[in-house]
Amino acid sequence: MPDDLNALSNDAFRTRWRDWLQANYPREWRVPIILRLMGDDERRWHRMTLEAGWRAPAWPKEYGGLGLSLEKQLIMHQEMERHQCARVLDSGALLLAPVLMKYGTEAQRDRYLAPILRGDELWCQGYSEPNSGSDLASLRTTAVQEGDQFVINGQKIWTTLAAYADHIFVLTRTNKDVKKQAGISFLLAPMDALGLTVRPIMNLADEDELCEVFFDNVRVPAENLVGGLNEGWTVAKALLGDERIANGAPTLSRQAFEVLEALIKGVGVDDDLGVTDRVASLFCDIQDLGALHSHVADAAIRGEIDNAVLGLMKVLATDLFQRVSDELLRAAGEDAGLQRAVGIGGVETDLRKIYMIARPSTIYAGANEVQRNIIATMLMGAAGK
Amino acid sequence: MGWRTDDELQQMLRDSAVHYFGSAGGPDHFRRVRASTAGFDPAAWKQMGELGWTGILLPEAAGGSEMGLQCALTLAEEIGRSIAPEPFVASAVIAATVLAASDTPAAGALSQSLVAGTRSVTLAWQEQRNTIGVPAFATRFEGNRLSGVKRFVPGWHADSALLVAGTDGAANILAVVDPTAAGVAVQSARLTDGTFGAEIAFDEVIIDDHAIILRGSDADEALSLAIARGTIALSAQLEGLASALWNRTVDYMRQRAQFGSKLSDFQALRHRMVDLYSEIELAGASWRRAASALDEGRYWDVALHAAKARSSQVAQDMGRWAIQYHGAFGYTDEADVGLYVHTAIRWSSWLGNAVSHRRAALAAHRRERGIHA
Repeated sequence: MPDDLNALSNDAFRTRWRDWLQANYPREWRVPIILRLMGDDERRWHRMTLEAGWRAPAWPKEYGGLGLSLEKQLIMHQEMERHQCARVLDSGALLLAPVLMKYGTEAQRDRYLAPILRGDELWCQGYSEPNSGSDLASLRTTAVQEGDQFVINGQKIWTTLAAYADHIFVLTRTNKDVKKQAGISFLLAPMDALGLTVRPIMNLADEDELCEVFFDNVRVPAENLVGGLNEGWTVAKALLGDERIANGAPTLSRQAFEVLEALIKGVGVDDDLGVTDRVASLFCDIQDLGALHSHVADAAIRGEIDNAVLGLMKVLATDLFQRVSDELLRAAGEDAGLQRAVGIGGVETDLRKIYMIARPSTIYAGANEVQRNIIATMLMGAAGK
Repeated sequence: MGWRTDDELQQMLRDSAVHYFGSAGGPDHFRRVRASTAGFDPAAWKQMGELGWTGILLPEAAGGSEMGLQCALTLAEEIGRSIAPEPFVASAVIAATVLAASDTPAAGALSQSLVAGTRSVTLAWQEQRNTIGVPAFATRFEGNRLSGVKRFVPGWHADSALLVAGTDGAANILAVVDPTAAGVAVQSARLTDGTFGAEIAFDEVIIDDHAIILRGSDADEALSLAIARGTIALSAQLEGLASALWNRTVDYMRQRAQFGSKLSDFQALRHRMVDLYSEIELAGASWRRAASALDEGRYWDVALHAAKARSSQVAQDMGRWAIQYHGAFGYTDEADVGLYVHTAIRWSSWLGNAVSHRRAALAAHRRERGIHA
């Protein structure tokens, strides 16, 4: 492994990563769409990649990352799609770390970054609340400073993989008397803190990844505040832009489309004109979103980020994934009602599961309707102005 | 613009196109051509020749500006934005590509008048409805006589020069044919973009040897490249058209008030405009990918089909909602929105409509993947 992966040509880099995946990626994890690595599997993945020199591609080298160019990061994503890798959340490296790098103290970075790299500590994101979904800034979980501690009370919900996490980063209300965005603070808390309880929620895909997290007088040291008091809203927006670009790729749609092609051949409707027209339409949507994504990625590599298009790609990619999964059910006929793998045309996949996994994508990370509002404001100006 | 970028040459070309069409293009020019008997404005074509646009794909040896496909596509976008009814795709892209492939005096002479903008040239190749790509021709060159029927010949007017594609039974042949020669019967019909299309029958028309400009594999290659380039350029025109219509519609929505609010304030309408904008972004990315594939030698790639499908669809979708959001005014001829919609109908149905190209895209994908063979 050379010191600088950035010095490799793109082709050489791609080959090296592809070869490593082929030699090392566990076969049992090659269940695209359906499988998400969690708990010990996720820890194992972080350790494997750390040992082999592939961990944290986007992190600067000074923090132990690879400091890869966006172009090479995207190559890694492409090869993982190609290798049919499972999804992995990696909230610590992708969501929290950029915040700590930008707003954290030296002590916070020293304490938290290395365990994230090693997979020793997994994180979850405590943002949404029962009455604060798309309107996140209306959140009501409170944190009150008492001496050198914050006392947290309230409830978070839809906290992904909270049951497997070691820590949570949480948005709390620290001032009720100002504009809602101006009274929020960003705090870190260990999941084993006294008064903190987790209750998994069973979702429509039979998973319990999403959780409720209750805070009942949970005390954390004041040094767990990231950024200034009441500056949590700004801090929370320091997400890695690179990740938004990778997420705009129609990866899940392409993988679901592969399943669809095998399925319609197995069912024997691949020359039915009605099916052909619907499938052709989905295929062109995937093709064109792929084209848009690579143009936007190229622009981002040049340093030009078009925020309106990034939002659009989230809407397009998630809507498309749903439509491909809808077609899977249509193609399967009566077997769409099976609560197990269909076993048609070599498709050993539970179609209903794909269908259900596609549902929340249009809701989370800014519901598509909220995205459209934001984009409309960028394109047409604010309503009522 | 965002992710869209021009190189220096494209930027210069775009600037001059915006400047030219700003005064000489747009709805007023469209209305004049639509009202003209010929459906063709020789003065405008001449000006486009003087600007170097009619010869944009022709070699310098023939007097062309030889700026390449990327520049031709930049121009196509701007032509779309200003719904210029000039036969740019039919003549400066498709016919010019065929002419550029031939080193015969007959091709050279036509190239020169095309470059100068003194003539427009059209290629008669299609014989059947819904043809995508180069078909097997029923039109025959037998001995020195040409017989057959060509349909959907674009950019037709009385002074149009004519190229005809056919076969001698063994090889494809491209020839310059005098439309006034004995045995040529032309039936033309006005199209929704104000121009004329023609059905041309050839009955034992005498063709001199020197009129034959390409033969065999050279003819096949030139035809394939010409129609592929034309399809992508038309996609770029359609995207430009949709984008201009989107802007026009938002402008109207900003000034039209009902129930005490501007139309542009209503969330349902705003969301629809965002979705249409997304489709336009997809179209812009799609034809650019097709142009890259063509540059790499893949003419009839998945990307080409996806591009014409997307651009055709979005122009029609944008047309539908542009009329709707202009309200009853949008249904009048006085409102320019209808000119865009009429142009979109013609351009989206020519060289393969959305449905045909979507099917072709899927078929090309399956061939590439070696499945469903």
